[in-house]
Amino acid sequence: MSDLKENLKAQIIEQLNLEDLTPADIQDDAPLFGDQGLGLDSIDALEFIVLLDSNYGIKIADPSEGKEIFQSVNTLAAYISKHQ
Amino acid sequence: MKILAHSYVCPKGTYLNGKRVFDTGEEENPFKSAYQQLGVEYPKFYKMDVLSKMAFIGTELLLPFLPKEVDLENDLQLIFANSSASQFTDNLFIDSYEQLNNPSPSLFVYTLPNIVTGELCIRHKWYGENCFFVEEAFNPGHFSEWTQIGLNKGNNVCLCAWVEAKTNGEQECFLFLLTDSEHADNSIELELSTLIKQYRNE
Repeated sequence: MSDLKENLKAQIIEQLNLEDLTPADIQDDAPLFGDQGLGLDSIDALEFIVLLDSNYGIKIADPSEGKEIFQSVNTLAAYISKHQ
Repeated sequence: MKILAHSYVCPKGTYLNGKRVFDTGEEENPFKSAYQQLGVEYPKFYKMDVLSKMAFIGTELLLPFLPKEVDLENDLQLIFANSSASQFTDNLFIDSYEQLNNPSPSLFVYTLPNIVTGELCIRHKWYGENCFFVEEAFNPGHFSEWTQIGLNKGNNVCLCAWVEAKTNGEQECFLFLLTDSEHADNSIELELSTLIKQYRNE
């Protein structure tokens, strides 16, 4: 699971062009969206959907699920582990 | 009408009022380097398309020259133009779904040229009028005409830009602040033509 989280952090930085961040800057349980987290926006949420599809073969049929899935690296990793 | 200040951003460097402020000619990623040399914190810069990146850098340099007495939130007008619209990013987006089979939402949002003005307005909380024209070449007469219309309507200052990113690799952003002047100046168009030629020859 920890390898998955580290991979996810690197993929998030690359896919979302967060060039001023390193994987170490992203805490496992830190919120990804909103002012308290990485400050990601709705376009980034779409990028997450693309990332899950292209890197893990997971399709999110209901976009409203994203709010729960994309809360943090922990929730993302848990969802991937469950659905791969 | 008079020019308050001007800047120019291209891969080889960034210039303010005719003087080079950042030399990026040897940099692998010149606009990223210029942004980092600016010393501002705005992580969204990294996600922007090349048009927005150039305009962002050039605009940051012009901020100190905006008149302090002007209500910038409402009375600053933006007039931008280029000849290739968003073709550079359009092609990247096409590649993302034709070659990579992975259409990119973050590229898609920049497949309109006027997103540039939107990025600047979001960054600086400017709510005045803005427009983006697509025309064959830099046309200083067009900028002065549209600026005058804005000034007649009560806008106090206008941020103008010729911001271009062609698929052949040509990239430049010439920004200039225009405002009213008590002294009628009929040479503004000639001055703008001369300035952009000088920058291009740097």
